[in-house]
Amino acid sequence: MKQDTFELHHRQDWAAFETWLTYAALPLRQRNAQQPPFPAHELPQRYRHLCQQLALARDRDYSLSLVERLHALVQQGHDLLYGAQGNLGQRVWRYAAGGFARDVRRERWWVLAAALLLFGPQLTMMLAVHLKPDLAYLILDPQQLSQIEHMYSHEVKNLGQVAREASTDFQMFGFYIFNNVSIAFRCFAGGISAGLLTIFALVHNGLFFGVIEMRLIQAGLAENFHSFVIGHSGFEMGAIVLSGAAGLRLGFAVLAPGQRTRSAALAHTARSLIGMVCGLAVMLVIAALIEAFWSPLRLAFPIKLGVGSLLILTPLLYFLFAGRRDGS
Amino acid sequence: MLDTLRHVTTPELIELQLRPAGLLPRSLAWTIDFLIRMALLLCLIPLTSGLGRAGGGLWLLAYFLLDWFYPVFFEVWRQGATPGKKALGLMVVNDNGTPVGWGASFSRNLLRVADMLPMAYGCGLVTMLCHQEFRRLGDIVAGTLVVYREKPVALPALEKTAAIAPTEPLDRATQRALLAFAERAASLTPARQEELASLLPQLSQGSYGPQGAARLLGLASHLIGRRT
Repeated sequence: MKQDTFELHHRQDWAAFETWLTYAALPLRQRNAQQPPFPAHELPQRYRHLCQQLALARDRDYSLSLVERLHALVQQGHDLLYGAQGNLGQRVWRYAAGGFARDVRRERWWVLAAALLLFGPQLTMMLAVHLKPDLAYLILDPQQLSQIEHMYSHEVKNLGQVAREASTDFQMFGFYIFNNVSIAFRCFAGGISAGLLTIFALVHNGLFFGVIEMRLIQAGLAENFHSFVIGHSGFEMGAIVLSGAAGLRLGFAVLAPGQRTRSAALAHTARSLIGMVCGLAVMLVIAALIEAFWSPLRLAFPIKLGVGSLLILTPLLYFLFAGRRDGS
Repeated sequence: MLDTLRHVTTPELIELQLRPAGLLPRSLAWTIDFLIRMALLLCLIPLTSGLGRAGGGLWLLAYFLLDWFYPVFFEVWRQGATPGKKALGLMVVNDNGTPVGWGASFSRNLLRVADMLPMAYGCGLVTMLCHQEFRRLGDIVAGTLVVYREKPVALPALEKTAAIAPTEPLDRATQRALLAFAERAASLTPARQEELASLLPQLSQGSYGPQGAARLLGLASHLIGRRT
């Protein structure tokens, strides 16, 4: 078949396909108002025909501009067909209902390693400062330490009062999100340095927490401190451990890519971890909500302790038991 | 290979061609996006400062969202292109040619922090310059590419000339060359057309000047099947 006849045969189909492409690019409201050139279920078939016509045009050495035009049509059809996003709401719901817990259980050894890298230095530092208080100055300078001690040195007599205004609560909420989620994201992305930056972040944070906690205990502010942190610590520390685990896993893909090329191994690993990173970001948002709006309430210590323990147990129980029914 | 074209085979066994974009257009696109983000944040300052301390929190939230999710939002919902990329005709696609989804887009933008190390996108710059398809670390990890978005070309109609049948069979390469010449004829000066035609004495068969070029166009007309 000569090119002219070929074009004559298919001209209408191509025009319809082009109209459909502009139609599909419209926002939903305008799309509803218009009549599509053909019903949506015909798209795959029409796209396959177009593919066949492109193959023929290439094989029969039709003119370059025709081939280019068909190529452009096929490419846009390809994007439309293969770029369709699944139902996002449903995917998110499924992941929250169990997929996240399954992912965490799958990476349990990395989670354990990250937990050791965070809590090991913390306990070591607590013990060290307990035995030799001056060791605290290795991590923090005296000015910072006294500042932190001042932060928690309020009297506990005003029970039931709100410690600060609501607007300050919201300010702190913004700050916690900005600060903590960014740290967790960096902890994960830093894993690409063969895990070194992740290890550094975990150990550094562990040492820091250890010093602060022990110094506050030594200063007799343990109750103030614990009543503040116990509510959000479960979600916050949990999320930091998970970001560390994801970072270490990514770093391991750099070090030992297995039977893939290094970049293929990285891409594969990242694809299996990205859900976990989204999940831990949500955990940090929950932690920030608790830290900004619940933790500063000055209630009796037993109440804070009870609610706090429940809040720590929640993520633990979730990771242990959620999503067991559909495998692993 | 000097060519940076990437060929992707679709499930329909059609070969798609992607043209990865290099360092300069991508840096320019980034600069435009950076300016847009800064402008948005500056505009937010007077709005949020009216709300006191809560406004400060709001501003930090906005900063956080713009910092991490501005590119993700546009890449997933606006055909793979942030405003900066769109201005330069670029878009982000998966390395199999399909549009990026949430996971891939989020990964490549999370890894920005690794690309920024040690300063001013140092790592990203080096990996991009070393990589055949100009990928930065984020692109490698997410399995994505930044490519030129091609606009569909309008089909230039071949000039209406009387078809001339060739006196002997033409091989495929000659046919292709003739068609390419006929398509470009509209954008060439008559002098250039004649010059090109004179390079093919065996086809123009002794007719030089305007007649030579006209004969080539006639042959092309015959090849695509016009019989007028």
